[in-house]
Amino acid sequence: MCSMSELPMTSQLITGNEAIALGMVEQGCRMVTAYPGTPSSEILAGVIKYKKRLNRDVYTEWSVNEKVAFEVALAASWTGLRSAVAMKQVGLNVASDPLFSAAYTGVKGGFVIIPADDPGPHSSQTEQDSRLLALTAKVPVFDPSTPAEAREMIRDAFELSERFKIPVIVRPTTRLCHAVSPNEVDESAPDEKIPSVKFQKDPVHWTATPKLRFKLHVELNQKLSDIAAEFSNSKYNETIYAESGGGIGIIASGVAYQTARQALTELGVRVPMLKIGTPFPLPSSLIENFCASVETVIVLEEPDVCIELQIADRKQVRGRLDGAVPNAGELTPEVMFSVLHKIFTEAGVQVNAAPEDGELSALIKTLSLPVRRPRLCPGCSHRSAFYAMKRTFGPRAIYPGDIGCYTLGTNLRAVDTFVDMGASITMANGFFQANRLANDERVIMATIGDSTFLHSGIPPLINAVHTGARFVLLILDNHTTAMTGFQPTAANDYLADGSEAPRKVSIPDLVRACGVGYLKVTDPYEQEDFADILKEAQAHAQSPNGGVAVVIADRPCVLYDKEPILENPLPVIITEECDGCRFCTEAFECPALVLRADGSRVDIDYSICVDCGQCIDACHKGFIVPKIAEMVG
Amino acid sequence: MNSTDTNEHKVIITGIGGQGIVFLTRLLSQTALRLGQGVVVSETHGMSQRGGSVISHLKINGSDAPLIQRGSADVMIAMESGEAMQNLDFMRRGGSVFVNSAEGLRESLAAHLERLNIRVLNYPATAIAVELGSPAAANIVMAGFVAAFSVLDLPYESMVQTLEQISKKGSEKNLQALEAGFQSRRKMLADPQDALENSG
Repeated sequence: MCSMSELPMTSQLITGNEAIALGMVEQGCRMVTAYPGTPSSEILAGVIKYKKRLNRDVYTEWSVNEKVAFEVALAASWTGLRSAVAMKQVGLNVASDPLFSAAYTGVKGGFVIIPADDPGPHSSQTEQDSRLLALTAKVPVFDPSTPAEAREMIRDAFELSERFKIPVIVRPTTRLCHAVSPNEVDESAPDEKIPSVKFQKDPVHWTATPKLRFKLHVELNQKLSDIAAEFSNSKYNETIYAESGGGIGIIASGVAYQTARQALTELGVRVPMLKIGTPFPLPSSLIENFCASVETVIVLEEPDVCIELQIADRKQVRGRLDGAVPNAGELTPEVMFSVLHKIFTEAGVQVNAAPEDGELSALIKTLSLPVRRPRLCPGCSHRSAFYAMKRTFGPRAIYPGDIGCYTLGTNLRAVDTFVDMGASITMANGFFQANRLANDERVIMATIGDSTFLHSGIPPLINAVHTGARFVLLILDNHTTAMTGFQPTAANDYLADGSEAPRKVSIPDLVRACGVGYLKVTDPYEQEDFADILKEAQAHAQSPNGGVAVVIADRPCVLYDKEPILENPLPVIITEECDGCRFCTEAFECPALVLRADGSRVDIDYSICVDCGQCIDACHKGFIVPKIAEMVG
Repeated sequence: MNSTDTNEHKVIITGIGGQGIVFLTRLLSQTALRLGQGVVVSETHGMSQRGGSVISHLKINGSDAPLIQRGSADVMIAMESGEAMQNLDFMRRGGSVFVNSAEGLRESLAAHLERLNIRVLNYPATAIAVELGSPAAANIVMAGFVAAFSVLDLPYESMVQTLEQISKKGSEKNLQALEAGFQSRRKMLADPQDALENSG
């Protein structure tokens, strides 16, 4: 490593996710489990990095899904060890069953849950607010505003969890997860001995029956009321006094607090602020005192309303509920500025104009610049699979899709629906039964990735097989969790920390064990053969004894494992005859196929082309040809 | 707020997924940290990295808010001219835009930018990286070029030290790329006829 690591205490630039990970490792957390999902994915990688650097004994795993991750870590807490689980916000939905139950049963060793929210949303299907799920499940929440604060909150969350025997949530958002800032790292701190713990049977908590559950609910409510009282003295809830312009005060939490402070500087005003770091249970006395000290209170929080919702008397409150703040979307610096600018101006307070007066943004619009939407990478095997699928079954077929890089198949019109993890199979199942009732005989072909199949695809597949649904399921097996940064799945032969997996799970064996009668594993790069197998699978699905037919498109992600392409490169050129018809750029959409600015022809961008040769079939006029043929010719 | 009279610098670093925006940002922010400056960076992760637009916000001695407000960036470093134009509204009046491009921005912009006193410097970092035989190091060539200006108060020597520290492999080639970018500016200064600076 670099020379810096020889120093015992160093200031290092780390991401918010790494700061959270560091907090866990240095607080003696002994187990961290997770399922990858933006913006949370680097937390577990951070734990692995710091457990090695700080020489701590921590068990880490990429679990098969968030519910599994939650329960594995919960068991560690029930033995008395400190444990934690990390996921993206929609992952907490998957883990919500144990979340609600664990709030009642309580915990033993400190148990911290990190659901990373995604205001925007940038990489998610919803803008849901984990703080609201915490409120419903009755679990306390810390809401950090900077990476350094998140790291401190991890310490206090463990302590709170142990003292009240309750699961505790620390809720970061995308901008905090992906913020990079200096953090002091003490690599010389000795590892405290792993506490000598033992799982102790405790039927009153660990196997509570409904009658006892009622008692636990009463206990939980008492814990929350005690915690609320404590939170009113928490250093994370801070009143910042100032002369109030126009009788206005601001209550803010999380990253929105920092963005609000920046906006006030730009506006050139100072007002009293109440920074809330513990949005649930809300320290209501602080809120009441603050509200009493000003005429108007603006509540600024992301992504939804948690604090604002808990303020009973909202007569003087402006926020997302009364429309003063947009009721959806991220509170970017521009949104924050314009919200505050409007309220201050209406109150007769003199404020600065926006630094960007709209001239440049209007000018940019007139340039009609190309929009760069995310696309599958050059050489991505999903593109080949989608292209063959579309050529075989055409635009009329119904293509239920799923969550992963291959959701981008929607650009290629090869993904017609996506709902949540595993829903490609259940939607195909439902479409089949609905279409049967409506005499709609269209082909149904679902696509799902390897990691998503293992996460949530197996019960849907069992359901579809057992109830006699007929469709083709294409499992796009690229040997990794590609979208989130190549985390291993249960089908890989290594574990989260790089060590060898004791056993790997076979996806074909799982498919067979679900009772599927047709299964073929094939390379989507062999487009002709691949298309023939898809036809055969469809014929099986429709045959008298048919049902769900499964095809596994087997080829590693081109970013994760370049070997198969490097071993068989097939460089191509586009001939002089190319007339710029755009078929290849639209139907195949490889970033390396670039239409000239004047639209006259398509060129290959060799700086990103990986020589996979897959685009040869993407020109039906035959103008994309192997370079070798050209040279020989 | 104009940050010219303080040691605060707000920097937008932009390009397309795969152009090394995250590494370029790390090089600059780590150098600022080495010099004892306050640093806050916001990075792009996830889906957008798949061939889409990538943008980093770097604040040196600035506030704790992760993002820079449009109209207040002092400097933009763009690895691609389309992304430079797309993000022009981040710039404050009097700011500097460094663009990895031989041709530069659209002509229709020149008059506006001159009036807003936004200086655009076109510099063919990719072409120079290709000449060096390390096309993937265009981001580092660009960093070297920027280091030759005083806009960020990040001296070349400190950047060299950072690069030695954070390069996992090919550190020799990376250092060559940084030097090539830095020397380009000198060559330009030696040739007053050079028209690389469009305005300001």
